[in-house]
Formats: sequence, structure tokens, C-alpha cells
Amino acid sequence: MNDPQAIAIRTDNLIHSVATSAGELSILKGIDMEIKEGESVAIVGASGSGKSTLLGLIAGLDVCSGGEAYIYDKALSKLDEEERAQLRGQYVGFVFQSFHLLPSLTALENVMLPAELSGDNQAKEKALGFLEQVGLSHRLNHYPRQLSGGEQQRVAIARAFASAPKILFADEPTGNLDAETGKVISDLIFDLNESLGTTLVMVTHDATLAKRCQRQLSMSAGRLSEAS
Amino acid sequence: MNLALRLLLRELRNGDVLTLALALVLSVATVTGISLFIDRLQSSFELQSATLLAADRVVRSPEVLPIQWEEEAESKGLEVANRAWFSTMVFTESGLQLSQVSAVTEAYPLRGEYLIDSTLFGTGKATDAGPNTGEVWVSSRLASLIDVEIGNSIQIGEADFVVTAYLVRDPGSTASAFAIAPRVVINWQDLDKTEVIQPGSRVRYALLMAGIESQLDEMEEWITPKLSDNQEWRSPRAGGRGIGATIDRAESFLLLAGTLAVVMAGVAMALASNRYVKRHLAQVAVMKTLGATPKKVASILIWQLICILVLGSIVGLLLGWSVQAFIALSLEALLSTALPEPGFEKMCLGVVTGLTSLVAFCLPLMVRLLGVSPLSVLQPMGRIEGKTALLYACGFVGMFALMVIYTQGILLPSLMVLSILLVSALVGVIGFILFKLGRKLTTGATSGWQIGLAALHRRLQSNLFQLLIFTLIIMLVLILTGVRSNLISDWQSQLPEGAANHYLFNIQQQDVEPLQSMMTGLEIEESDWYPMVLGRVTKVNQEKVTDLYGKKEERPEMLSRELNLTWTDVIGEDNTILEGVFNPLEDGFSIESTAAEEAGVKLGDEITLFIGGREYSQKVTSIRKVDWGSMRPNFYLILPKTILSDFPANYITSVHVTDESKQAFYKGMANYPTVSLLNVGDLIGQIQLIIAQVSQAIQLLLGFIVASGALVLVASIRASLDERLEEGALLRTLGASKSLIRQAMLIEFGFLGIFAGIIAAMAAEACLFGLQVYLFELSASFHPILWLLGPLLGFIIVTSIGLFAGRTVLKVAPMRMLQAL
Repeated sequence: MNDPQAIAIRTDNLIHSVATSAGELSILKGIDMEIKEGESVAIVGASGSGKSTLLGLIAGLDVCSGGEAYIYDKALSKLDEEERAQLRGQYVGFVFQSFHLLPSLTALENVMLPAELSGDNQAKEKALGFLEQVGLSHRLNHYPRQLSGGEQQRVAIARAFASAPKILFADEPTGNLDAETGKVISDLIFDLNESLGTTLVMVTHDATLAKRCQRQLSMSAGRLSEAS
Repeated sequence: MNLALRLLLRELRNGDVLTLALALVLSVATVTGISLFIDRLQSSFELQSATLLAADRVVRSPEVLPIQWEEEAESKGLEVANRAWFSTMVFTESGLQLSQVSAVTEAYPLRGEYLIDSTLFGTGKATDAGPNTGEVWVSSRLASLIDVEIGNSIQIGEADFVVTAYLVRDPGSTASAFAIAPRVVINWQDLDKTEVIQPGSRVRYALLMAGIESQLDEMEEWITPKLSDNQEWRSPRAGGRGIGATIDRAESFLLLAGTLAVVMAGVAMALASNRYVKRHLAQVAVMKTLGATPKKVASILIWQLICILVLGSIVGLLLGWSVQAFIALSLEALLSTALPEPGFEKMCLGVVTGLTSLVAFCLPLMVRLLGVSPLSVLQPMGRIEGKTALLYACGFVGMFALMVIYTQGILLPSLMVLSILLVSALVGVIGFILFKLGRKLTTGATSGWQIGLAALHRRLQSNLFQLLIFTLIIMLVLILTGVRSNLISDWQSQLPEGAANHYLFNIQQQDVEPLQSMMTGLEIEESDWYPMVLGRVTKVNQEKVTDLYGKKEERPEMLSRELNLTWTDVIGEDNTILEGVFNPLEDGFSIESTAAEEAGVKLGDEITLFIGGREYSQKVTSIRKVDWGSMRPNFYLILPKTILSDFPANYITSVHVTDESKQAFYKGMANYPTVSLLNVGDLIGQIQLIIAQVSQAIQLLLGFIVASGALVLVASIRASLDERLEEGALLRTLGASKSLIRQAMLIEFGFLGIFAGIIAAMAAEACLFGLQVYLFELSASFHPILWLLGPLLGFIIVTSIGLFAGRTVLKVAPMRMLQAL
């Protein structure tokens, strides 16, 4: 059981800017937030508001320009790429808008990949279990190109949960799917999230989807606020 | 490792990894094929040279050699044999004949074989042991002279021997053939029984040795200080350094040409790697988000590259080995000669090539994958910018290192790099002008011509690069075709049908006319008849040769031994006066150009000759170039008749004896027992064998180069495939028909091929000029066929492979293409 008081993600005055030909462009202008373990949080906002950048920084995919982001009190900017990758392998799972399955691997092999990367001998058993949970045990040996968009995203969800992450980051998980399939996918994410007690951070445009999260944060012009 | 292997196996279905692996296979196979083949050629030559010596090394001496030398050789692990030879009379009931008797121990010959036959003038069967005690082998010529048959008895000195075989070829015979009478071989143990060798007898002894190089080198080091002035250490290479050097040159040339195949394959590898990297940026980023550390990604990539290297090398080695084995086999069948097995250490060169290519062309590109940010899965990062200069530098250094390894020197690789740079500059300038011109002449996009020519201009950089690659491939094909036909036509012209295959010498003045009429009767072609007198050069410009050169072995050949001198009214067709004037009626020496160059003698220099106890000094009045391949008697020095006519001379000539006239010729020659006969047909056979082998090697090389070139073309078209698909989809969405796009592609590839062919023909003509004049020493000739073959070849190769590799552009529906993009 998770400790309801434990903080999974925290940022202190998180700042990020990039150099452009027109000069320094500030994307995140001092973000302070806390996400508790087991909580589900949606980050909403217009295109270009900085949602994905924030997701990238708190997931340890990039390093901030200022301030600090923490995963379970580990300051991400103090870690090198090797350590951040280990941290991701240990704590984090991802579901992407465009699925990002490896085209040369079958559904089963895609789900096995994170466990294999961490040297887990039980990779296959775990993968089979999760594929069954997402209803794809009959598509184990199919390649991504042989699967529909919804099926691909189900494989991606199974892959994300297969490494038993403490935090699941989902970037527009239904963005490339029709409404009906989107509903199936979001149900799957929330069901698994609830049953496994995972912390969920979801970036989305979809207000209905966002409302299913316990909290909604709104991103606008590089600043974050609790959505009303 | 399992994950790396699985990912690689899955990727094999994908064209890029396959292109990469195929390119590696071709690189390894090209170098392995060439080096193994040349190695066999080299050892074939060394073995043939060793056959002439009957051993790997020989010590020759006019006295009995100390037994300790033989014991020392044996203690070093060398095989040893002994031979003694001398001239003596051979007696039968019907007569006597001066003969060259050779006594050999059981182990003789250590290299090569005897050829003996049971019928007179037969072609012979090989045997590697000499006669038993009490037996004698006699040459067919001696048998006809003294009228003996197999089973008859002959007497040598005080001992009787039974003739058991006719001797056809005696290993080690060619070297001393010029000074000998008919040959006889007996067993070493019978030597004492003959009692022929008495104090003061003219006998030569030889200690023959065979073994591995290191043992032989040790022996040479041990024995050299112990050799007296009249003892001599001989090795096969010293005897045949001309042919050896030619093979060395051929090896460098072939391996350098092979380097181009390796460079092509390397470029194909780089192009395939580049596309592989582009397509895997997102995948590696995903793996990183899933927790793959940079070390893990690196280890996956390294394992994959190791697998590609190992698999590619194994397949390449097998392919290279099979191809050279196939050629060797077909050659052996053709020439009934077995080539020695190749040295397997030569296979290392193939593996080194594979490794270097991979490190130079793939690794720097693959390293880019390590740098991809996991964030790119959320935000496309655009192109990963690598250090392009570093990439080029890696490829260049790798290839240069290989060229240095191949040629064991820095000059040829530097020349080759310079040539490639020159061709690149030429291609760059001409291509740029042509593409610009093509674009200017056509505007709009309503015909295949306009779209095709516009495409040439639009993808200017990649098209110039492709133009360079195709130019190099076509140029090489043209050069190799030219070299091959040059080599063959050169030798064919040097060894025309009816080239002499026997030399006749030691001919007395009174025998000249009867011999001439015998040749006419037998319809045997003969060259001019030259008188010969022995003499030695003692001074050059009044300076003694012994003062000019301290050690005997350092002297140029002309100054180091007795020379056959001649006089003639008219110089032969195979002699060309380079400097001065040849006038047989005036004083002055005529000297052969190479000998003059070696000895540093120029027109007008004074040469002093010691002939028959007197010295003659005259100026050099002409320098001649001699075609030594003409198989006619030729001389370093031609003297005025006034000097030599005072001396008794014997004559030399060369004749062409056909298989049909052979028996009658030998029978006829039996009437001239004092005339020496040298069969050079075997030597011609050896030269022809080498030409056939080199020519086959060139063919092998051509195949590999064309294959590598095709691979580069496929890889380079695949590199621009995404762009082409996008263009094709857009054009077809806007209403362009398939045939219009096909026509445009045909124009684009067709012009690329034709331009490449024209530039290649120009460059090949220039290279052939250089090769003809400097390497093969032929007169330069123009090759109109190149100018036709180049563009035609370019058009056919580039359009067919181009249309094949780009067929997806026409096949896939525009909608699917646009979606895929």
C-alpha cells in the first residue's frame, strides 16, 4: 500500500528556456507543484503552453534551466544521463500519443522490452500477464503494423505497466484515436492505475479525460495553476 | 546481448541492415579473393622458381662441401640433398659422347620433380626420386646420339650402368642449361665407382636445402660468413626477380583497384548506416524513456556491430575463398597445373578490411544514436547534427590505412588519393555545369524531361555525389577492361604464333650452313644467326670496374660477369636505336639501354673490354632498346666486326619447333652433338600461365567492383527515397500520371549515368595512357571504344538499378505515401 503522504513528484521554481535565433525563449516560468503518491493529475492547456516540456522535465527526460524537479526526493538536475535513465527504469512508465512501439518487435517483445532492459528474468511472464489484462493475448506475435491504432495503444499501456512503475506519464494517450477507442484506452489506463496504485500524470487536451483525474492543473504561457 | 541479437535479426529484414551487411561481405570477399589468389600466384611462382633450383636454397661450390654444413642445416630442421655434376664421356658399344653427368642423393629434388619417359622424346611422367644405384637416366637426345635404348648398358668412367628411363626434365637444369652437353643422371652412391672425379677435375657440388623461411634465414645467416669467394648462396627470388617484381606490382595494382571496391562498399555502408540511424532515432529515444541507459544503448549497438562484423566476415571470407578457388580450379583445368594452396593468414587481410570499414564508415554514424535525447519522443528535435568533417575524416583515415596495409608503402596510396581527389574535382565542376545547364534549358513541370532535369539540379549535392561514385565505378571498369586487353594483346604481340621455343648455341662456323638447310628442310622458322665471343667489361671511362664497385654483388649485371659479345651488319627488328647511330663499319660499341642505365654508361663514354687476353677500348656510339620478350637472341653489347673477327666464334640462333616437327628436329640435331640446345617452351608456358592468372584476377575484381557499385547506387537511392516518395506522392496527387513520373526518373537516372560515363571515359583514357606508357612500357593508343562503352554502361547500369530501387515511388498509392510521411 502506498503512503498517502509520500510526495512522488515535486518541483521548486522550475524554469526552462531554449536559445532561438531571436534570443532566449522562456517556456516554463517558475513552476511549483507537488504530486502525491497514487494521485492522478491531468495537465491541460493550449498547444505551445509548455505542457509537454513540463512532462519531459518531471519525467527526467530533459534537464531544467533553473529551479529543480524531484522524483521521490531525488533532484533530477543532480543526476547524469546514466543515472536519470536508471531512475526512469526504476520509477517511470510512459504512454505516448503516437504509441512509439518498436516496429521490428512483436506485441509481446515490445511489452517485454523495459523488463529486458533492466535485466529482469521474468520479462516474458510479466508481459504475457499484462497483454492479457489489456485483452491482447490473441495478438502476441503481431507486429505493430499489423495492429490497429487502439491495439497499438493497448500494447503501449501494457508495456508501460509491465515495468511496475510508481509513476505513469501519459502524453495525449487518446490523441490519435477515435472517441470510442479513446474511451476504451482511457478506461484501461485508469483501471490499471487504480488497481496498481500508480501515480498518474497525464497531459491532455481532452476535458472529459482530464476530469477523470483527481486533480487538474492548467498550463498557460509557461505558468501552472490549479484548474477550477 | 540477447536483446541486441533479437533486434538485429528483426532488422535484417529491413533493407538498411541488409545493405550494410552485404557491403561488408563484398569488402571482405573482394580483399580476401584478391589476396588469396595473388598469394597462390606468388607461391606458384616461388615454387616454379624453387623447381628451377630444385630446392628453396642452394650452396654451390667447386669443392666438396664440409659435412658440418649439412649437419648444421639438418639441426636447424631443414631437409637437405646433395648433387654433384661434371662433364665426362659416356661410352657405349656404338660410340662415345661428351655428357653432363649429375649425381644425386635420395632426397633430390627437394622441390619440383623429374620428368621421365619410357619412350624416346616422350612428354614425360613426373617422379620425385632419382635413379637407384646401378641405374642411369639419359636424355632422349643423348640416347639418339649414342644409340642406346632402355635396358641397354652404358659406361661412365669405370662403372657400368643400366638405362632405365629417358630423362625429359631435370629439376635445376634450366639454370645451367647454356653450358651443357646432353644430360645423364646417376645415384650419388655410384659417384665413387665411376672414378671420374680426380684431383683437378672440373666438378660442381651443391648442398640443397628446403624448409620454412625462418629456418632458411637462420641458415643463411650462419653460412654466409663461411662462404669463400668461389662459393655461392642461391635463392629462387634472386634467379627470377623480374617475374617476382612483376607479381608484386600486380598485387599492389590489384589490391589498389580492390580498394576502390572497398571504398564503394564503405560508402554503401555509410549511406545504409545513415538511413538506419535516421530511422532509429525515435526508437532509441523510446528505449531511453523505458530506462535504457547510454551504456546499455552503446552495448546493444556494439553487440549488433560485432555480429554484423562476424557474420559479414565469415560470409565474405567464404565468398572470397570460393571465388578464388573457382578461378584457380578453372585455371588448373585449363593449364593442367595445380596452384599451391593459399596461405590462410591472408584471410586476416579480409577481416582487417571488414573491421576497418565498419569502424571508419559505420561507427561514427552509429555514435549519433547515443546522443539522441529521450525528450524527442515528446518533442521532435529535428536532425541530430553530427560533426560531418569528423565522419569524412574517419572514412578517409580508415581507407588510407587499408591502402597502406595493401601496398606496404605510402606512395601508391597517396597517388591514388590524389587521383580520386582530382577526379572528384573534375566530376564536381563538370557535373555542376551540366546540371545547371540542364535546369536552364527546361522550365516548368509539364514533361518528364523538365521534371527529371529539374530533379538533377534540385538534389544537386546528392546527385553530384552519386555522379562521382558512378564515375569512379565506370572508370574502374573501363580501366580494368583496358588493362586486361592491353595485357593480353601486349603478350600476344610479344609472343606471336610461332615465337621461338628453342635456342641453339655453341654452333661452330662449319655447322651453320648445314643447320640452316636442315631448318629449311624441316620448315622450321629460325631467327638471325649471331656469332658469339666471350668478354668482360674491365673499365668504364678508363676507371677499373673493381675500383668503381667494391663488392662483386653490388656491380650492375653487365659489369659483374662474362658477356656474350657479337657483331652484326643489321640490328634485329626487336632492337630500336634510342641514341646515336648504329654503323657496323665504323668503330664504336652499341649498348642495350637498361644495361647502360644500370651501369651508368652514356653515349660517348668509353668502355674497355677484355677479350681473349687483350683489352679493347672504344666509345659507346649507340644505345639500343631491346624487346627481351621477342624470344630472339639479343646482346648487351654489339661490337664492330673488326674486333671480333680475329677470334674464333660460335653461333647462336633461336627456332620455333612445332609439335609435329619435334621428333625430326631432335633426330636431325643428333648429327650435331657439339651444338647445345635449350628448350624455352616451358618458360613461355610459365609466362602465359601468369598472364592467364592475372587476367582472371582482373575479371574477379571487375565483378566485385560492379557489385559494390550497384550496392552504392541502391543505398544512395534509398537514402533519397523518402524525399522521392514525397515528391512522387505530391505530383501524383496533383494529377501527374505514373508514366510521367517514370519518364522523369528515367531522364534523371539516364542523364546521371550518361554524364558519369562520359567523365569516366575521359578519366579512364588518361589513366590508360599513364599505365600503357609507364607501367606496361607500350606506346600510347587512343581507345574509341571507351567513349562508347562508358556512357552506354552508365546509362544501362544507373537507370536499371535506379528504377529498380525507386520502384516504390510508382507502386504505392499517393494516399498511403502521404499518410506514411
